[in-house]
Amino acid sequence: MGEAELLHFEDFRSGQIFRLGRLTLTAEEVIAFAREFDPQPQHTDPQAAKHSMLGGLAASGWHLGALAMRMMVDGLFIRATSMGAPGVDEIQWRRPVLVGDTIRLEGEVLDTRLSSRPDRGFVRFRFSMLREEERRNGELVMMFVCSVMFRRRTTG
Amino acid sequence: MWFEDIPLGVKLTLGSYTFTEENIIAFGKRYDPQPFHIDKDAASHSVYGGLIASGWHTAAVWMKLMMAERHTRVAAGAEETQENYVSPGVRELRWLKPVRPGTTLTYTNETFAKLDWKSRPQFGLLEGKNEARDEAGELYYSFINRVLIARKP
Repeated sequence: MGEAELLHFEDFRSGQIFRLGRLTLTAEEVIAFAREFDPQPQHTDPQAAKHSMLGGLAASGWHLGALAMRMMVDGLFIRATSMGAPGVDEIQWRRPVLVGDTIRLEGEVLDTRLSSRPDRGFVRFRFSMLREEERRNGELVMMFVCSVMFRRRTTG
Repeated sequence: MWFEDIPLGVKLTLGSYTFTEENIIAFGKRYDPQPFHIDKDAASHSVYGGLIASGWHTAAVWMKLMMAERHTRVAAGAEETQENYVSPGVRELRWLKPVRPGTTLTYTNETFAKLDWKSRPQFGLLEGKNEARDEAGELYYSFINRVLIARKP
């Protein structure tokens, strides 16, 4: 993909919605992440997890953040001029996500603004991670608001 | 120990973690495969001028050190609030400086606010201010964590 075809700062406008992929959470992945970064029984031990506040083997919130990042890269940044993000305003973990759940990610553009540096601008997104269910399709499980830097097509 | 018993203004050193080329690339390949997190050569031509850690890697390490510190404290006989750490969210994550291979960050946590949590009144919400600094004291990362802690029955 050539530079001109990549999404630049100018290509984003408020109200746009990007659908950024879906995946089904496996026990192996949940346990592997948790053993390295969040070794608590509700994330690493299927038996103990049944009796926890979350009601079953659940992904670490930080794992969900990392999975959201992966979906952002594969679904959007791969065809855009992302230059990273200076932070996240807020992350809400609304519902536990359990092994076997299928989740998807959507990103809505809230607003855009130029940076003081002439080569880039900020696009502020609200990312929503939704759980797919047979009856209630699209239950919100995680939400975060994040400004991402993108290169401008024209500078100055 | 209950929510009511927790003092504010208590600062803990959680521990240190060294970011290496290997662990930066391993995390990047799994969760954040942008060129500046996974490919030394491509990273050297990026705006960052070299490989840097994914912000989610810097964030996940906080959790790792928080759990290790707590485990050490409980093993030493400290009274703890509850078995599990349940958080409704975090706020104001700031990645202030790129984390390059060879950087060792020391993470700290300071309790600073206690709030009501209306949807689960049997719990209170404890907020903590968290920082990660290198050996020279430079601030790389900060955020505010939130954890639900049981109130006295």
